[in-house]
Amino acid sequence: MKKMTGLLISILLLLTACGKQAPAPGVTDTEILIGNIQDLSGPMKELGAVLPAGSNLYFRHVNEQGGVHGRQIKMIVEDHQYNPQKAVTSAKKLIEKDQVFCLYHVIGTSPCEALRPLLAETGTPLIAPATQSGTMSDMSRPASDLIFHTDTGYDKQTRILVDHILSEDANAKIGVIYQDDDYGENVLKGAAEVEQATGTSIQKEAYQRGATDFAGQVGNLIKGGVNHVIIAGVVKEPIIVMKTAAAMGFSPQFYGTSPTMDHRVALAAGPAGEGFIAANFANLWNSDAPGAVEYRELCAKYEVPEAYMGMYHFYGFITAKVLVEGLERAGKNPTRKRLVNGLETLNKWDSGAFPPITYSSSDHAGTESVVLVQVKEGVQTVISDWVD
Amino acid sequence: MTELITGLLQESISGIALGCIYALIALGFTLIYKATEVVNFAQGELMMVGAYVNFFFVTTFISSAGEPTLWTFIVALAGSIIFALAFGWLLDLIINRPMKDEPIFSIIMATISLSIILRALVAIIAGPMSLLPISPFGEGVFSFGGIVISILDTFIIGSAVILVILFYYFFNKTRWGVAMQATSEDPIAAQLMGIPVNRVNSLVWIFSALVATISGILLAPKLSLLDTTMGFLGLKAFPAAVLGGFGSIAGAIVGGVIMGVIETISIGTLSFHYVWIKEINDIIVWIVLIAVLMIKPDGLFGVEKVKKV
Repeated sequence: MKKMTGLLISILLLLTACGKQAPAPGVTDTEILIGNIQDLSGPMKELGAVLPAGSNLYFRHVNEQGGVHGRQIKMIVEDHQYNPQKAVTSAKKLIEKDQVFCLYHVIGTSPCEALRPLLAETGTPLIAPATQSGTMSDMSRPASDLIFHTDTGYDKQTRILVDHILSEDANAKIGVIYQDDDYGENVLKGAAEVEQATGTSIQKEAYQRGATDFAGQVGNLIKGGVNHVIIAGVVKEPIIVMKTAAAMGFSPQFYGTSPTMDHRVALAAGPAGEGFIAANFANLWNSDAPGAVEYRELCAKYEVPEAYMGMYHFYGFITAKVLVEGLERAGKNPTRKRLVNGLETLNKWDSGAFPPITYSSSDHAGTESVVLVQVKEGVQTVISDWVD
Repeated sequence: MTELITGLLQESISGIALGCIYALIALGFTLIYKATEVVNFAQGELMMVGAYVNFFFVTTFISSAGEPTLWTFIVALAGSIIFALAFGWLLDLIINRPMKDEPIFSIIMATISLSIILRALVAIIAGPMSLLPISPFGEGVFSFGGIVISILDTFIIGSAVILVILFYYFFNKTRWGVAMQATSEDPIAAQLMGIPVNRVNSLVWIFSALVATISGILLAPKLSLLDTTMGFLGLKAFPAAVLGGFGSIAGAIVGGVIMGVIETISIGTLSFHYVWIKEINDIIVWIVLIAVLMIKPDGLFGVEKVKKV
């Protein structure tokens, strides 16, 4: 009897070995498992529920059309509370226990940076990290061959804004208010590059994350005789800066990097925020761009609550489109390597929302341009085509 | 030269307003510490809860009575104050009283847990999205000789000064105030002398919740957005309270204002003229704090406590 069992096991083993190649982690005949790490209970928690909901809207649409090569997409979301260490723990859980195929849309610069060694060690790709830090597509860093960035970096955004200002007013005196952390560092990198390229000099004023008062910075910009100010903040900062400036009788043209492209800036800043120009890395969710039209149709079809609809939900939606395109190009028998190779074939690929995306083995930045969005009579209005 | 002076004056005014916010939170710390020697690490969160409750009242009145008038805000303020009184009483009942005989350290840990619970509760009830506060102060400013101060900042400074004077008077001149000080010094002896220690404790928590609510209502429009992370400002008010002398009411406002002014001037004029200051902006207040504590270990207004062995 024992002999028989042994023989049976040997035959079974032989059969499995002779059969088709072992499938990649997270991939079965019917399903592809994706891992996502958001901030569900930390400082960025307002986006924690909305971003994956936007991604799931697109996955649901794709799944109802039959999925990707017949496989349904399923996403598991973990919480890192914007803490890099927790991000690593969550990623380990997703990769080792849940055996996800790849990571996707993990939020935050420092959490994503912290994942690099783990990604390199396990060979897990990270698609569309939810941050606009240019460091994400720095090909000299570990695991850069596995990370595919979709958003135009802060360094490029700063460069584009300064170029735009100089093209309108060659004698412009430009100032920048930046957050004193990795976000600001990336902004300063862009500022230094453009200073060198154009010979212009930019006045730089820092603030600490969580600052509530900007009288010092605004006062310095007045002393410096600045007439164009770039605010590299999030939501509160541009509001307080513009209100403080208005109170002090200082009225330069204000600009902002992509995190300031939040409709609440216009709402809360009121008259002080009129004319504010923000750079954004994608088209607006309520614009006529094909991706936005499709988004609104699917929102209507699946009865998405109105509170969810908006730029962040849309951001989840459009990055999901990039991921699905990558999965399509990975072929019928996807492996992580094939996903990477598939994405690297994107050439001026139009998602209908992002600028045209191009990846190659030496460039994972994807996009190079932004749209400019201006507050006109309290409403955000797109005022440019893609600017680079 | 005049430009330099105008700049410094402007930054000082803004710094005083910012410092008064620190002072209001520090005052909350001080009240509870003075009477019970407990440091309430949930003080910032009490402020956040107060701001949310006020927002709830304002929006409820607007949705039932239409466009806000001055009365909307006055009634909402009254509602928030009543809430604060009940809230402070409740916190004493569920946090402070059951732990009365435990080491002070345990009560402090309980206040840290309270801060986490309050943040989570508010996020569950009000939702994770930040809200746009509605305030009666508008964007108006007073301007004199090139120096401006917003109406809101004027109210912040005014409230801080009035509250500090009121509590100073209360602690030093009234029977209840003296009873509180006695309770903090020696609760058992105080009880033996006929002081209702339980009632004294619940009164300080009520006062503290009241101060927190008022500061929350004033701070929300200054921040432009209302969210649950507002309470983290409590961490900045803590060094202000230490600088002024922990447990001193006058010290809370002096410490707060010094911190606010140093912060604003170092970011402003000092950074503009000396680039190296820019590099140490975020630690400059801590340098001042350490320097003061080296000379006066109990803070500027602190009273040296000698314990007999």
